[in-house]
Amino acid sequence: MGVAQDSSADPPKNNKQKSNDGKQIPHSAIDKEFLAAPIKSATDKFALLPEFLKVRGLVKQHLDSFNYFVNTGIKKIVRANDRIVSGVDPSIYLRFKDISIGEPSLTMDGVTEKIAPHTCRLSDMTYSAPIKVDVEYIQGSHDQKTRVEKKGVVIGRMPIMLRSCSCTLYGKTESELAKLGECPLDPGGYFIIKGNEKVLLMQEQLSKNRIIIDMDKKGNLNASVTSSSERIKSKTIIQMENQKIYLMLNQFVKKIPIMVVMKAMGMESDQEVVQMVGRDPRYAALLMPSIEDCAKEGIHKQEQALAYLETKVKRFSFAGASSENDGRVMTVLQDVFLANVEVCQDNFRPKCIYVAVMLRRIMDAILNKDAMDDKDYVGNKRIELSGQLISLLFEDLFKTMIAEVKKAVDNILTKPSRSSRFDFAQCIIKDSITHGLERTLSTGNFNIKRFKMDSKGMTQVLARLSFIGCLGHMTRIKPQFEKTRKVSGPRALQPSQWGMLCPCDTPEGEPCGLIKNLALMTHVTTDEEESPLISLCYCLGVEGLEVLSGEELHTPYSFLVLFNGNILGKHRKPQHFAAAMRKLRRAGKIGEFVSVFVNEKQHCVYIASDGGRVCRPLVIADKGISRVKEHHMLELKAGVRTFDDFLSDGLIEYLDVNEENNSLIALYEEEATTETTHIEIEPLTLLGVIAGLIPYPHHNQSPRNTYQCAMGKQAMGNIAYNQASGLLLHRMDSLLYLLVYPQRPLLTTKTIELVGYDKLGAGQNATVAVMSYSGYDIEDAIVMNKASLDRGFGRCIHMKSRYCAVNQKYDNNTQDRILRPNRDGFDSGPMRVLDDDGLAAPGEIIRRNDILINKQVPIVTRGQFKSALNDSEFKSVPQRYDGPQGESCVVDKVALCSDKHNNLCFKFLIRHTRRPEARDCFFSSRHGQKGVCGTIVQQEDFPFSERGICPDLIMNPHGFPSRMTVGKMIELLGGKSGVSCGRFHYGSAFGEPGGHADKVEAISETLVRMGFSYDGKDFIYSGCITGCPLQAYIFMGPIYYQKLKHMVLDKMHARGSGPRVSLTRQPTEGKARNGGLRVGEMERDCLIAYGASMLLYERLMISSDPFEVQVCRVCGLLGYYNHKLKTGICSSCKNGDNISTMKLPYACKLLIQELQSMNIVPRLKLAEA
Amino acid sequence: MDPQPEPVYYICGDCGMEIPLKPNDVIQCRECGYRILYKKRTRRIVQYEAR
Repeated sequence: MGVAQDSSADPPKNNKQKSNDGKQIPHSAIDKEFLAAPIKSATDKFALLPEFLKVRGLVKQHLDSFNYFVNTGIKKIVRANDRIVSGVDPSIYLRFKDISIGEPSLTMDGVTEKIAPHTCRLSDMTYSAPIKVDVEYIQGSHDQKTRVEKKGVVIGRMPIMLRSCSCTLYGKTESELAKLGECPLDPGGYFIIKGNEKVLLMQEQLSKNRIIIDMDKKGNLNASVTSSSERIKSKTIIQMENQKIYLMLNQFVKKIPIMVVMKAMGMESDQEVVQMVGRDPRYAALLMPSIEDCAKEGIHKQEQALAYLETKVKRFSFAGASSENDGRVMTVLQDVFLANVEVCQDNFRPKCIYVAVMLRRIMDAILNKDAMDDKDYVGNKRIELSGQLISLLFEDLFKTMIAEVKKAVDNILTKPSRSSRFDFAQCIIKDSITHGLERTLSTGNFNIKRFKMDSKGMTQVLARLSFIGCLGHMTRIKPQFEKTRKVSGPRALQPSQWGMLCPCDTPEGEPCGLIKNLALMTHVTTDEEESPLISLCYCLGVEGLEVLSGEELHTPYSFLVLFNGNILGKHRKPQHFAAAMRKLRRAGKIGEFVSVFVNEKQHCVYIASDGGRVCRPLVIADKGISRVKEHHMLELKAGVRTFDDFLSDGLIEYLDVNEENNSLIALYEEEATTETTHIEIEPLTLLGVIAGLIPYPHHNQSPRNTYQCAMGKQAMGNIAYNQASGLLLHRMDSLLYLLVYPQRPLLTTKTIELVGYDKLGAGQNATVAVMSYSGYDIEDAIVMNKASLDRGFGRCIHMKSRYCAVNQKYDNNTQDRILRPNRDGFDSGPMRVLDDDGLAAPGEIIRRNDILINKQVPIVTRGQFKSALNDSEFKSVPQRYDGPQGESCVVDKVALCSDKHNNLCFKFLIRHTRRPEARDCFFSSRHGQKGVCGTIVQQEDFPFSERGICPDLIMNPHGFPSRMTVGKMIELLGGKSGVSCGRFHYGSAFGEPGGHADKVEAISETLVRMGFSYDGKDFIYSGCITGCPLQAYIFMGPIYYQKLKHMVLDKMHARGSGPRVSLTRQPTEGKARNGGLRVGEMERDCLIAYGASMLLYERLMISSDPFEVQVCRVCGLLGYYNHKLKTGICSSCKNGDNISTMKLPYACKLLIQELQSMNIVPRLKLAEA
Repeated sequence: MDPQPEPVYYICGDCGMEIPLKPNDVIQCRECGYRILYKKRTRRIVQYEAR
């Protein structure tokens, strides 16, 4: 109720206040006024949001994880594999002492120079830095050995993530960035591989080292643990089938009764197992069948159990001698079975306890179905970031390199006479790491055998269609496992993803709900040092496993303490313990991302410090009273306090999904009760970056917001500050769409300001009249004003870059050449754009088939060395422009550079300005309402208002009722009042209570003040013919419209005859290959149903792939035509007596032959037609 | 091929200097060593259509 009162009292004041700041910079001015206002009870915590983004940034998760890899991860890998010892002479070794990543640089012709990322983009290089190692090794031969130390040996090159700590752009100011040709608003977080910007997508997977209870298809309960230790990854499943409990592990050939495993691990007493699981007789009852089963097998002792397992373990097929397999059970149990639980000095007790806890969880699930885990619960998910993926890749390559070096060294050492002096350090300088990293990142195929990883499409080319699309790409999350089609569970919106993952931003169609996006404030954790936290837990009163008997494990009121999935022990006062841990975290004594979660149901305290958890910041509240007070925000405003200070002062903390379950979070401060522990910073942060562009999204029907999220990425606009201008260092992407005169939206949101969409917008504010006009506006089509188009509305520039490499040196020392054009010959026509150097000159108008480079290639490129060639030994291979027919484009820029083989490379940037044409292009508002441009009407025929305002476009009112995009109507109102009063209005999500969205009431008041109707409708004169007033008032005002990239010019395609695929001899597919248009199954069905058999025959055979075959009437197989005898012969009957000649589609003949190759004999039966 | 091809001038992407290049020259700015050069705008008169 408090809220309602507040808001009813507020509007007039609020309104006045806002109209005042119109003159100043809106955003900062509002905050000042807000903070100065004394009556406001709740603190406006919005200012924390920009501060958060300043500290963390939008792609911080990528940067953090890469930084972690560069600073810590890579060192750990090298430390774990730091020795190469020769197999021949063990005293000869090489030791890696340290590893570091240098500055991004380029070595060309022996000269090393620093490089900027933009140079790499322009000249198609990889933005990488040398990996330097410090080594010590033994040098010398048999008698005299010396230890040599070397520093800074480069073993390969590591692609560098932009804006990470080892990037040249790290910590640069805007002007410094501009000097390097970089856009200051660019988020970074991607790699540049061979000139392409590649993003390593975040991968979502089930969390490692945690017990997950779920039901399989047969209805059996499973407790599974995907263990991942530094050495090994394994999956352990404990299954309950027919009342009995089994272990499933891929090292054993069949299911193993769990009691056998327990006995094999030294738990010979059944009683102790029962005690470990729990004293409750129901548990014992459930365990009974398994115990009996084991007893029936006659296994009572550890030796018996081991002998039993020995018969079940998978044998190495290659190991002939049984000695290899002896004691294998013990190693399997030690290393593979529950690999996350370490066995120290043959002490299997922790593993036994872990199994007992798993059993207990299964039994809990039997007794109470709620205890089952939800695989889709966000708390059970981990997000694998680019740093982790790169680290896996590097580890694999590094180990491979070590193995290779070892082999090479052994080879050298076994040679009887060594001519050159043996230098170990020379052996480690190889290209395998460089190439491996580069190849994997550019193809996206992570095929790491060592870790049983084989996934495709891990990297994507960064979408540069619009600035926001690029940002959205960086927050995308991909599911790791194959999408199970029919199950809706993983696709559904999870309540636990509130505030962590954007509920709106997901693609439509097949990947719907599987591909997700992070919300605005989400942070993904990276790994944290474990050992100090473990010892802290023991200090805070956790009783270790060593001192506990099985009986004591599950005493009531004491909770088990699990740290990153491993059981540390138990605690008698779990709430105290959790409170203490949290207090330490708030005080900054332990990492800010450590989560403490008390699970009352499972009687467990989970402490997590592992990487990949999603978490978000929240304001801490004591008994419902926010810790962030007015003066804190004032200090923030004044710049004395930063976001990190809020964290270290314990005002704000990060909560992960699990810990959120232990807290009561109030959306607004007013709503807080005494039980409230946390308060949201801003409700708008529950949306992601792209959904944040939508004004008033909370007034729209939800799928409309989802549609807009898909379309926002396709909107044309500004790409970056370095997109294309008169400047030298601008982007030369292979395809770029730019909007002419992009504008910033009149109705903004807070997110727009935070991400910089107001600086790099993708759309224009069009005055829209919602009315019916002509018949060309049905089905969402838009009627456009010709005069507006003349003035530049919706006009776009289409930039295409052509890349050509020439001057390759051939084997016979010849090379390509570029000739001065022939200005007045018979072929001077297509050469008119060429300059004296044989290259097209910037500024020239270019048409289809004009020559870009007048290149000549030597006819003979192999064989003998040739010094000079005369003109006759060259053939002309000019590069022609293959743009659309009949359109004139302009050569915008020509860049020359040389690639790493010292070949000359040219990049031609070709510009084409396009204005909207009827039925040619799509326009869309920010509410998921796209429409084609239906017709273009002269302004004279357009309706106009009393004030002389004439709309830019007319939208059909039928677009509203079924779509229910109320947000669009409010945008129109807000935009109209914004234009008339001169202040940008806000429409942030859920912003009305917090003052971040203007209320319709207030907007209407402004409209009335400015002389408009309160409802946004205008008195309109009909433009066409009469000039009479229209019968109805027309809802008219500005709405931000985006122009989408789909244009007819790019899609238009037709062909008569053309290229064919060589395998099937059918026409090729697709516009790029000048392909044919397919008459598919459904079209074929129509023709069959209609009975147009001759048309069908013509389409599917004559115009596709006709082929004459010889068919034997006796055996029905295909024969051949003997050209000497001029007859057809059947090769299986060995004669030509019963041969018929007929026509067949070549694809059919191919099918017959392919089937034959698979031992299937298709026979043709011929009949008279 | 004429014996003395006239050098064509290019613009350095970094310092903006004009650099004369002949065929088979290394693509590099003589002043600052930058390796990306741009072609100069055509000297011919071009008439664009403004619609």
